[in-house]
Order: sequence, then structure tokens, then C-alpha cells
Amino acid sequence: MNEDASAERADSAAADDTDALDPSRAAAIMAEAREKALRELRARYPLVFATWGLVLMIGYGAIWLSVLGQHPYTGPAPLSLLALTLLLAAGAVTTVIIVGRALTGIGGGPAAQRRVHYLALTAGVVGVFALEGALAHAGASNSLLGVYGAVAPMLVTGVVYTASPALWQDWSTRALGAWLVVVAASSAYAGPVGVWGLAGLLAGVGFLAAAVVRRGRDRA
Amino acid sequence: MSDDDLDPVIHAPARLRIVVTLSTLAPDEDLSFTRLQELIGLTAGNLITHLRKLEDAGYVTTVRSGRGVTARTGVSLTSSGRSALEHYSSVLRQLLDGATEPPG
Repeated sequence: MNEDASAERADSAAADDTDALDPSRAAAIMAEAREKALRELRARYPLVFATWGLVLMIGYGAIWLSVLGQHPYTGPAPLSLLALTLLLAAGAVTTVIIVGRALTGIGGGPAAQRRVHYLALTAGVVGVFALEGALAHAGASNSLLGVYGAVAPMLVTGVVYTASPALWQDWSTRALGAWLVVVAASSAYAGPVGVWGLAGLLAGVGFLAAAVVRRGRDRA
Repeated sequence: MSDDDLDPVIHAPARLRIVVTLSTLAPDEDLSFTRLQELIGLTAGNLITHLRKLEDAGYVTTVRSGRGVTARTGVSLTSSGRSALEHYSSVLRQLLDGATEPPG
């Protein structure tokens, strides 16, 4: 009890904080506190976007190389599918670590909106893969499954990015969402082989461009 | 203008760090006591004392929610806290500008 009381007194004494604080030191403290808060509390979206850009270009590229020249289309090689799965998992883990760390401890309306945004994105992508399984089970052709598998996750991601209230004022991410919708819808016309190369390249470039724009904005 | 024009509630290293840190959040957001403590690097007792001073001035609000393991204390800057920080920054800039101006 006595120890508690003296600890409290020590805290209170330290907390009085009455040392003279000159203006230049105050300005330095402000700059340092602001820089630290922004570094810790703001998710490094440029890194997240760059990761997804590389995941799509390399993962979709690997699938494209494995199906290139198939007539008729029979589907990607197991090794390239495994590579894409591992890359997607790495992208998801990177996103969860970066965004989760930054959002820890933040509450209130905008933070809740961001959590709903990520839940919607996760549910949408999981639903897309579940539907792909159902289509295969119902006897859908390899060609249809190829096109669907390449563009459906992209379409869902694009729609969530474009419509999410959490990103209402984030025009660069909304533009990326619109770009993903356009890429998904148009590259599907390239057929089950071409779609992997085209969608992977265009969506990957979109994510990398968004990373550059976002980095510039965060530094401003 | 002198140092005395700086708001004494904010013009203390720990409270200045608290207010600046909270000002980086969106107006509707708050920060948990635990995360704030981690960012500022104060003991819980010190942080409580400083928050009480800021709360008494109407610059921050603390809201408790949940129970047991889900208990959370959210700390946020009020609109008057934001205005006070803006005013403080403006006075500070004038003092610093005055200090660098050559004597006329």
C-alpha cells in the first residue's frame, strides 16, 4: 500500500512536468511526436499496394506461362497454381500485418468502417473461390473456370475498393478499384490463356501506380 | 509576444506529445489508452495525470467501454482541443519567427 502511494506520488511529481520548455524545443517535440504518430498509426499502403502489384504480375505471369500454347485449354500446371497460392497467401499476410498493426488501438467511426471494408473484401474473395468450386462441381468447362478464376477475385476487389465508405475520400484507391473493374471485365475477352497474362500485367501495373501515388501523397 | 502566451495546459513535453499524437487521428476516431501509452512512453500513472489535466481543460475526452478482457478506454481530442493546438502552433511559430528576425 505504502509502495503504491509513493509510486503514485513519484508519478504525480514527474507528471507535473513544470520544467521550462523553450519554443524551439517545443517545436522539436511537436515535429517528433507527429512524425512518430503518423509512422505508427498510418498503415503503409504504398508497401501493401506494391506487394499486391508484384503478387499479381508474378503469380498470374507464372500461370500464363504454364498455359501458354494450350489448345484446347486444360488449365494451369499444379506447380504454377501452388506458386500463385503461396504468393496470394504472402500478400494477405503482409496486408494483415501492416494494416493490423497500424489500426491497433484506434476506435471510432472511420476505424470501424475500415474494419468493415476489410471484412467485406475477405468475405467477397472467399465467396468467389467457393463459387469457383461450385462451378467446377456443376461441370463448368476448364475454359470458363480459367477466365472466372483470373478475373472474379479482381472484380470483387475492384468493386469493394470503389464503393467502400472507408475509402470515400481516398481517390487514389477508388481509382485503383475502378481500374481493377475495367481490367477484370475487359481482359476476360482475351480467353482462358490470354486473360492470365493481360489481367496480371494490367492489374499489377495499377497496384504499382497506386503505390507510387500514395507514397507521394503520404510524403506531402 | 512571449512564452507566457503559450497555453500552459499544452506547453509541457508530455501533454504536447499527447495532444499532437491525438491530433493525427480523424475527428471521429479515438486511441486506446494502452496504445497511447506505448506511443508516448509514459507510465500509466503519469499518463493518467496528464490526461486528467487535459480533460479538465476540455481538450480531451476519455470513454470507457466493455468489461473484463474487452475493457477499453478510448482517448480522443475534442474540437476545443484541436483549436487549442492550432492556436498553440500559431503562437509558437510567431515566437520562433520573432526569435530569428534580425534586431531592427
